[in-house]
Amino acid sequence: MLDAFSRSVVSADAKTAPVGGTDLAGLRSYVSQGNKRLDAVNAITSNASCIVSDAVTGMICENTGLIQAGGNCYPNRRMAACLRDGEIVLRYISYALLAGDASVLDDRCLNGLKETYIALGVPTQSAARAVAIMKASATALIGETNSPASGGKRFRKMETTQGDCSALVAEAGAYFDRVIGAVA
Amino acid sequence: MKSVVTTVVTAADAAGRFPSQNDLEAVQGNIQRAAARLEAAEKLAAGLDALTKEAGDACFNKYAYLKQPGEAGDSQVKIDKCYRDLGHYMRLINYCLVVGGTGPLDEWGIAGAREVYRSLSLPTGPYVEALTYTRDRACAPRDMSPQALNEFKSYLDYLINALS
Repeated sequence: MLDAFSRSVVSADAKTAPVGGTDLAGLRSYVSQGNKRLDAVNAITSNASCIVSDAVTGMICENTGLIQAGGNCYPNRRMAACLRDGEIVLRYISYALLAGDASVLDDRCLNGLKETYIALGVPTQSAARAVAIMKASATALIGETNSPASGGKRFRKMETTQGDCSALVAEAGAYFDRVIGAVA
Repeated sequence: MKSVVTTVVTAADAAGRFPSQNDLEAVQGNIQRAAARLEAAEKLAAGLDALTKEAGDACFNKYAYLKQPGEAGDSQVKIDKCYRDLGHYMRLINYCLVVGGTGPLDEWGIAGAREVYRSLSLPTGPYVEALTYTRDRACAPRDMSPQALNEFKSYLDYLINALS
């Protein structure tokens, strides 16, 4: 497993060169944006249950066949497995966001995930859709772009200092896209 | 690669939980100290070649017999390899400063070093002398800020202890 720092070390070692110049500039921005990053991770972890249940609910609303007899979220046992997997995916994304590198997500979550889903008969289209909804709500929470209209009665705004979080929103979005790309 | 963040993530993953407030605080503490580390890494990267040469010269000055026939530095090829190894050690210290832990030195420098040096019948004393010279010669604020120098010297000491 690597983080943003060890990633630059591993790539510098491949060239037998010390880490300097432009590599360090990237790491300095990680450091200077550190508090924002921790707030972003906190935005995901504090709302994890909401993000996951909302995503699975949305996925089923769009495709109600999933909870009818023979559907992949029927009965409760399989619905529970679905919620559990959503939480696991979100957890590894929060690790990747904290580390600033996707290797933990790749190594411990995505490697072999698609093959497992195919073997178990899980519809990967639906799984990808649930992750896409998680992406929408997680990035809205990180960037504080969610609105009472889209949030309904579960609307929540993180009370963090106002600032430009676009880079972190993009980074988090990239990790969600990575999951979607890996299962679809 | 072991670092504060990967340690925190490994522990959280083993427990199957999201990163907790404790985890975030641990990462925050690491970030606060990072500025000094990155400064030291930058200065070290910039002066790596000069520093390696100085360290190597110091060790051959103290142990002049190393260049006599039959010793570890009796040909230019062997002498060059000594300088090269010192450069590798400095580079690994640069990596440690970037990561904020001894992971790179442990994994790529120290693990197995004893066995390698023994099988090649190389003395580690001269390496210690070269690194000690570097440690004692580095000074703040000429080379880097005091806090950065502190970080740099702590990794030099770690390596010296491992080779002693």
